[in-house]
Amino acid sequence: MTEESSSNPLNQIAVKITQSLKQFKDSDKPGRIDSLGRFGLFIPALASTLIIILILAFLWFESVPIFIDPVGGPGIIVSPTWDPNRDLYGIGIFIVGSLICTGIAIGLAVPLGIGGAIFLSEFCPMQLRQPIKMIIEMMAAIPSIVYGLWAYIVLVPIIKYNIAPLANSTTNGLSVLAGGIILAIMLLPTIVTISNDALQTVPMSLREASLALGATQSETSRKIVLSAALPGVGAAVVLSLGRAVGETMAVLMVTGNSLQIPYSLFDPTYVMTSIITNQLGYAFVFPLWRSALFAVGLVLLIMSMCFTITAKLFIRWGMKTRGYI
Amino acid sequence: MTTQSISESPLRKIYGRLGLKDAVKSRRHLSDYLFKIILGMAIIIIVSPFFFVLFQVASIGFEQVFGTGPGQGIEFLFTFPGAGLEGGIRNAFVGTVELILLASAVGIPLSVFGAVYINEYTQPGKLRAIIEFTSDVLAGIPSIVFGAFGFAFLVDYLHIGMGIVAGSLTLAFMMIPTVLRTTQEALRAVPMSLREASLALGATKWSTTWNVTLRSAFPGVITGILLAIGRVMGETAPLIFTAGNSLSVPTEITGPGSWVASMPYTIWAYISDPRQYLQEKAHGTALALMMMVLAIDVIANLISRKVTRRLV
Repeated sequence: MTEESSSNPLNQIAVKITQSLKQFKDSDKPGRIDSLGRFGLFIPALASTLIIILILAFLWFESVPIFIDPVGGPGIIVSPTWDPNRDLYGIGIFIVGSLICTGIAIGLAVPLGIGGAIFLSEFCPMQLRQPIKMIIEMMAAIPSIVYGLWAYIVLVPIIKYNIAPLANSTTNGLSVLAGGIILAIMLLPTIVTISNDALQTVPMSLREASLALGATQSETSRKIVLSAALPGVGAAVVLSLGRAVGETMAVLMVTGNSLQIPYSLFDPTYVMTSIITNQLGYAFVFPLWRSALFAVGLVLLIMSMCFTITAKLFIRWGMKTRGYI
Repeated sequence: MTTQSISESPLRKIYGRLGLKDAVKSRRHLSDYLFKIILGMAIIIIVSPFFFVLFQVASIGFEQVFGTGPGQGIEFLFTFPGAGLEGGIRNAFVGTVELILLASAVGIPLSVFGAVYINEYTQPGKLRAIIEFTSDVLAGIPSIVFGAFGFAFLVDYLHIGMGIVAGSLTLAFMMIPTVLRTTQEALRAVPMSLREASLALGATKWSTTWNVTLRSAFPGVITGILLAIGRVMGETAPLIFTAGNSLSVPTEITGPGSWVASMPYTIWAYISDPRQYLQEKAHGTALALMMMVLAIDVIANLISRKVTRRLV
């Protein structure tokens, strides 16, 4: 009988609760505060989990109508036409726009950022290292709206008058290229900081062994240090990918927000974050329109979660094969 | 005379400093040299946008924030916008401060207590892994998704309505991962012997945590809080659908009277306006916002250099 009751998980919990209640009754004041505190701290600990669940649930329930409605359906993810007035809710165009902008940004930022991180960690003179790190951390702190303002006032005219004529094309400057460049600038601090941390954790003995075998410093940093720090650098790149896809204000201000798939660097485009920012305010009284916008949000959320998980996998890979990140 | 003076000549010195002497020894040395030069150029390209942005914002905004004319200087931050949006940005300045204070009041206790619980009261295991994982995922979620969620959940579903409450709660959600992870990092750095000494003296777990562990982890916790505040201070996207906009400061808790302006939103609204003086005000607001954010960042750095910024 007793064995049966103790093996039942529900009974076990009940026993635990009565035991701790009895303990609570018997203890003095500090003891009571202690057990109350243990319970009171448990609830805040669940806050982040609860918020994630709420975000997933709300984006899912808000976007269900468009996925089950005959005019929408799961096909909207690849359908390219967005025209809420004619009940066409294709969000494929925004996904393509986001991916192209992100691609340009990553193409610019990853080589530069990794190069900068190698310089900072391997070759930088000691007295320069701290100021440069400080500036890069400050760059990460600058609000995206300020980058957007700069890009809108300075970068867009430069593209219009100086860069586009070089390629024999005319543009008003609001283009994928502008979005890609400003995104790259915003990603660089992330990539440099995380890659630099990863490069710094590579044991000195690896570098010494390589140098002792007669390799030059550049060969050592390229072939030994970089490959030893590869998981950390990979995590940096993947995390910055997530930032690039989710960046809102700066991209909104410079990509032109035009419903077309860009065929050249100087064509305007429309990215996922911009469509939500621009239209959610008007759309919330139209159920399908609003639902389609939340579907864009859901796609964004799933993409960012995938990037975070991939970054975690990189780190786990690093811990497993190298013992450090 | 000859050898001595040549090796001492300034040109030769620079030549030696730059390492060109070694570079011409062989092809491998040359490529080594070129590689370093290219990387050095990369770091210059990386940091130069900071100065470009600072220069652009300061060149136009400086008059607004530090000028001595009417409506400039400190008056710019402390007068309400008048007809045609002339005047200062007191609505945005006060709005940002109020939003941040409310968001901190909700977000900081949640995340600090959460971090204390998972670090001090749980064993490494499933629960801790789940909470760490979800807060990392939360840190990576785009800000506009937070905005859409705040709009759907707080404004629409809970019927709080747009305004200071919905806006600051959305910001509080965004603060949680940063503060939680940095607090956890700081708690982890507290030596176990301190806790053991306190427990051995007969203190309860609760008073050990508050009087010993948290106290010695305090610089790290403050750094995390400052970093989180600096981050959410510049967020525009979560506020567009949750905080609304207003030309004065909020007077009510709910309803249209609680709509609140913020500095990032004001920059966005003013920069989209073709009127010249609004563009200048946008730059002024941007300069003020940037100075606030950078000051917070520098203070965070001064308090604790040791706490690594967890970006993963």
